Amino acid sequence: MKNLSLKSLSKTYFDPYAGSHYTALHDITLDVPAGEFVSVVGPSGCGKSTILNMVAGFIPHSGGEILVGGQPVKGPGPDRGVVFQSFALFPWKTVLENVGFGPKMRGVPKAERDEIAREYLAMAGLSHAADRYPNELSGGMQQRVGVVRALANKPDVLLMDEPFASVDAQTRMTLQEELTRIWEERRPTVLFITHDVPEAVFLANRVVVLSKGHVLADVPVPLARPRVWDKLVEDEEFKDLSNKVLALVRSA
Amino acid sequence: MNALLPLWAFWARATKQFPVLQTLAPFVPVVLLWQAVASWGPFPPAFFPSPMDVVRNFQMLMYKGILPEYLGDSVARLAAGAAVGMAIGIPLGLLIGLSKRAYAALWPIVLFFQAIGDIAWLPILIIWFGFGLTTMAFVIVYTVVFPVIFNTVLGVRSVKTDLYRAAQSLGAPPWRILFEVVIPGALPNIITGLRNGLGYGWRALIAAEMIVGTSGIGFMMFDARRAGSVTEIVLGMIVLGILWYIVDAWVLAPIERATGRRWGLVTQ
Repeated sequence: MKNLSLKSLSKTYFDPYAGSHYTALHDITLDVPAGEFVSVVGPSGCGKSTILNMVAGFIPHSGGEILVGGQPVKGPGPDRGVVFQSFALFPWKTVLENVGFGPKMRGVPKAERDEIAREYLAMAGLSHAADRYPNELSGGMQQRVGVVRALANKPDVLLMDEPFASVDAQTRMTLQEELTRIWEERRPTVLFITHDVPEAVFLANRVVVLSKGHVLADVPVPLARPRVWDKLVEDEEFKDLSNKVLALVRSA
Repeated sequence: MNALLPLWAFWARATKQFPVLQTLAPFVPVVLLWQAVASWGPFPPAFFPSPMDVVRNFQMLMYKGILPEYLGDSVARLAAGAAVGMAIGIPLGLLIGLSKRAYAALWPIVLFFQAIGDIAWLPILIIWFGFGLTTMAFVIVYTVVFPVIFNTVLGVRSVKTDLYRAAQSLGAPPWRILFEVVIPGALPNIITGLRNGLGYGWRALIAAEMIVGTSGIGFMMFDARRAGSVTEIVLGMIVLGILWYIVDAWVLAPIERATGRRWGLVTQ
């Protein structure tokens, strides 16, 4: 695992119809140390998904630097695993083939990558679904596959773009608990984008609040782990932190 | 009413055991009506043959070996034309779908030439290549290519951006994205294109055989007109219908079930 560092990152779009530039993000400086879980929250349109797309290398940045382990980012790469809100599983591949896709691209032989995929599927309790196609699974199970597929490629940084926004509320809580458990076991460096304040606080070591294209606040979350919802819903410290972050987001 | 229940149960069991019954059943009233018109209608048999006349003609042509040979010729031409049409249409469709420059350069040309229907090429083809196989090959490939191109382009466009991004962030280089993401993602549309192309191609082939052919089902039908055999013309029409049903039900539909439907890309 490596650290992720954004230095004075900015994004401007040129609007050909208006004939002028529009600044979506300016001067974002953010450091995610190796093995740390950082959530980014903010109202819609604040540019949080733009940050993730730039870090992933899907869209170019206009100014500043993005460094992964000290190396500048140039385009998408397997050092940054991405979990998508839309799951983005390959519908024509079985669950096993989806999870083994990253190793396959690295040239890992079939027997070996199947073994890797099975090991990761077992971690998410998905061994029974290995030979099924994504559309045969529930949304919650599909996103478990999405998380496991990103992890099985052993990325330096894990980027998650509102990954649980399109599953139902109960499943979401389960997935959040599973994600904290996996994070505690493996300690990946995570940048987690969400608009859900309790989710951001529940998962992260730090919550970064974004507003109108700049960093409004950087709130540490010293809550004890392991974290489970049964304990945290009534926890005063959790409630205080959530309210504090929520107030920041609403003032944004 | 209750007396009909055993009949219904019998039908349910019979169609479950022999699904072909379900296909044949709708034709029973059609054939009965045909027989009725032939028996009691005002037309002489030479002008309006009965079903049994067509069956006898079928047996005769099978016995002489004419029908199997002509059928083989037509099907082989369709298969060869479809293969060449796909070999040209799929790569071209992928190129146009993936590259903005290729789209800008080729799309107007593709639209222009698809408007010139297959048959509209026949006058000039007959001058260039004469009456024969080259002319027919050109017509059928030409007809298959355009639906395959259009649907492949559509298929490439329908692949979601997140799937490209997922493949990229899992370390896939562009040429692997082509084979792992673009082609499987476009496959349901490519199959639709092939289905349309084969349907149009089959019709174009029969038309071409009528005008420039020296064998094949289309030639057989047009030749029967010269001989004044309405029975043989009707037989030809029936063969066309049956053959297309077989291609569709035994070749194209299973491919669709195994791909797009299995993956949830095509609704049931």
